[in-house]
Amino acid sequence: MNQGRSANGVGASLPRREDRRHLDGRGQFVADIKLPGTMEVAFVRSPHAHARIRGIAVPPAAQGRVFAAADLPQIRPIRVVSQASGVKSPPWPPLATDKVRYVGEAVAACVAASRAEAEDLAAAVAVDYEVLPAVVDAPREMRASAALVHEGWGDNLFTERVVAGGDIDAAARAAAVTVTREYRMNRQSGSPLEGRAVLAYRDHRLDETVVYASTQTPHTLRVALAEFLGIEERRLRVVAPDVGGGFGPKARLYPEEIVLAALANVLDHPVRWIEDRSEHLTTAAHTRDHHYKVTAYADGRGRLLGIDCEIVVDAGAYGLWPQGPYQEANMAARCLPGPYLVPHYRARTYTVATNKAPLGPYRGVGRPGACFAVERTIDEIARAVGRDPVEVRAENMIPPERMPYASVTGMHYDNGDYAASVRLCAELLDLPAVRERQRRGEPDGRLVGVGFASFTEQTAHGAAEFAARGASVIPGFESCTARMLTDGSLVLMVGIQSHGQGLETTLSQIAAEELGIDPARVSVRHGDTESTAFGFGTFASRSMVMSGGAVARASRMLRDKLLRIGAHLLQCDAAELRCADGMVLGPHGSVSFAEIGKVAHLRMDALPPGTEPLLDATATYEPGISTGVFSYATHGAVVAVDPETGFVELLDFAVAEDCGTMVNPMLVEAQIRGGVAQGIGTALYEEIPYDAAGQPLAVTFADYLLPGAGEVPPIKIGHLHTPATATEYGMKGMGEGGAVAPPAAIANAVRDALAGLGAEVNETPLTPQRVKAAIAAAA
Amino acid sequence: MTALSFTVNGAGVADEVAPRTSLADYLRERRNLTGTHLGCEHGVCGACTVLIDGEPARACLTLAVVCDGREIRTIEGFAGDRIMTALRDSFHRRHGLQCGFCTPAMLITAHDLIRRGRAGSEAEIRAGLAGNLCRCTGYTNIVAAIAEAAKAVAS
Repeated sequence: MNQGRSANGVGASLPRREDRRHLDGRGQFVADIKLPGTMEVAFVRSPHAHARIRGIAVPPAAQGRVFAAADLPQIRPIRVVSQASGVKSPPWPPLATDKVRYVGEAVAACVAASRAEAEDLAAAVAVDYEVLPAVVDAPREMRASAALVHEGWGDNLFTERVVAGGDIDAAARAAAVTVTREYRMNRQSGSPLEGRAVLAYRDHRLDETVVYASTQTPHTLRVALAEFLGIEERRLRVVAPDVGGGFGPKARLYPEEIVLAALANVLDHPVRWIEDRSEHLTTAAHTRDHHYKVTAYADGRGRLLGIDCEIVVDAGAYGLWPQGPYQEANMAARCLPGPYLVPHYRARTYTVATNKAPLGPYRGVGRPGACFAVERTIDEIARAVGRDPVEVRAENMIPPERMPYASVTGMHYDNGDYAASVRLCAELLDLPAVRERQRRGEPDGRLVGVGFASFTEQTAHGAAEFAARGASVIPGFESCTARMLTDGSLVLMVGIQSHGQGLETTLSQIAAEELGIDPARVSVRHGDTESTAFGFGTFASRSMVMSGGAVARASRMLRDKLLRIGAHLLQCDAAELRCADGMVLGPHGSVSFAEIGKVAHLRMDALPPGTEPLLDATATYEPGISTGVFSYATHGAVVAVDPETGFVELLDFAVAEDCGTMVNPMLVEAQIRGGVAQGIGTALYEEIPYDAAGQPLAVTFADYLLPGAGEVPPIKIGHLHTPATATEYGMKGMGEGGAVAPPAAIANAVRDALAGLGAEVNETPLTPQRVKAAIAAAA
Repeated sequence: MTALSFTVNGAGVADEVAPRTSLADYLRERRNLTGTHLGCEHGVCGACTVLIDGEPARACLTLAVVCDGREIRTIEGFAGDRIMTALRDSFHRRHGLQCGFCTPAMLITAHDLIRRGRAGSEAEIRAGLAGNLCRCTGYTNIVAAIAEAAKAVAS
């Protein structure tokens, strides 16, 4: 298969080609792009969670520089179309018209020479609000409430759905052990270090509107802008330059992007909006915010018979385009059985509208909550039957001989040895040594605990999966154009967007693998609708598999042509030739890619008869199965809990994982560590509470705590290797997994530490206050 | 507008600024030194860290006008610097950056730690990085890269 074998190909821990510019301070993020005459935009935002707008008064001096909905009539309301039945989809005007439904909702855009002056303008705009009661408690207010987020609905439910298989009542009847718990994963923010950003202008020569945006999905952003601005896509170009982290929130359409593009079309100068951190914490997609009630049935040894659960997702005021509000509950319900054999299952899910910022994807999407719920429950089952959670966990897992395995929720697990990850993780932590330390006790009186959590990670899922979800946009493929130039250098043009994952490096490794070209002679272009064929972007742990597959295919198409031309030049049969070291090598000689490049472009008289000029190949790729290939892992945490203060210190953390073939193991491990750091944030620090009036209470980095270098321990990593059978090289996606299991593993470790006190903490983040309260409640 | 005269990356600058202009905005918008990034604009994330008279400082919380007569050094001002060269090399080899947004400030803080002899152990480096947030890496490779650069500079 891999004719071009290269030392820098698949499997090489190649340092990244994207590093240089960032190390020199020469990265180009949206806010770094300078266009003459650019004016700054600041938004007038709602200070209320729920209010009717009675009027908007603009001071005379600000006329013509403040734009409310009525001033930009070309903007259509955002509307998510779901193919799933029974999902309500409220229209969302990008600038509020009659009502505001969360604190921070945009009401008007103010344009001035500097951000400070634009903010002055925004402060001078007087909006007359009639304040309404706010819906803030999703489980309590989903059916009946003093207030309705969307009046015509009659309730506050976007949708309610049941995901079920087997016979849950039979499981209940057969159970020797029944465990019931409630879990809560609180609302948080994705918070990439660069916030959102938009720079838009009219290119009069090309008759198009150019939108630079800090987005993970430039092509679908163009689709959306065309739809909601009512202009043809050919007259829109979207560019995602360097993007300072995404993690999911930047894979959705936002009102600000539409408004900036609209302003660029009516004003005769470029406009930009650079989100500040408070705007990000209040108005960029929030995440998590799941409530679980789980009842698990097991036999006397702790073997799972069934799980019955209720999942309430507080989705905020609107569904974000393109996938709407249901993704969280759907994924949580379908992923909750995790790596376990669960014959009987029922999940009743409720996706609730509240007067809070819309919920969107964040690394792991519905999985961290589902993992938290099932993994805490597995530990409680083990306690109930008096056995070691490690053993109970491993015994309940789908064994390798039953792969491929169709789960009770319709997930198609492809392959892997799940229980092996539990054993490897326990080894990495040296479990016997931890247990010995527990027995000895700590001189400072702290309590040590160890906990594990396992999960499967559906990655690179395509048509079948998204169609089953009722999605109207189905990210089922990726594209690549491979273009070799006259000097034998190569340009890969891809539809994804790389924002830290290192795809400029790894995709060039794929080309090296197939073509035997030095990655240093390859450029990777991404994130620009102008220079790349359509693609969906980077999210859902899909780009290495999907875009990597497209690069492999396009490279092979190119290789065939190189060999055909090479055979003609070397006067031999193409079957005798191979590509390596930037050359076509034959039994009696070689010809360089540069020579072939010259012939294909500048000297077509030397082409074999009937061969077209150019060395251009465009390919699309979708994996052999579109239900996803499943990575999996077990995470383990060792904690010390101070029973006086409730403070949790993370002493050790290990990940045993299997993501199939690794293209660049160094980057894989870095993705794991980065994900785990975010999972530690979910577990211990990050939370955006809302008060009863719907006011968000964490609006700066002083009250929204990101983990720092002192909070994230070095993370031990062990690998298992089960290549996928349905993808190129056996790759599986793995970008999100790191963030999935830490909350569950850490909560299990805290539970273990507090076992003697009988206390458990079933809500994230496990703040000192919550830990202390749990200890007090148990006493 | 207030008159301002100071040194930026070794070159004298005389300018007039609105008193409320932050040093970060001034450097980015007026001097086109866009390697100084803004992650929170309230002094927590550290992405705007620059050196003022040789000391690390938050450019987002510093008004440009208070820098009159002082010496500013940004990520663009380290060409040929021995410590910075070692750091850039080790961050590259040890994969100490992902999206790159926190990276320039991370390098400036790391430079200061090594210069002051405060990068001797992992614990010391982690404590020294407390004021610089990274959302991508989980810090492990950053800490390793700084330790390696410290060793390279010392040898």
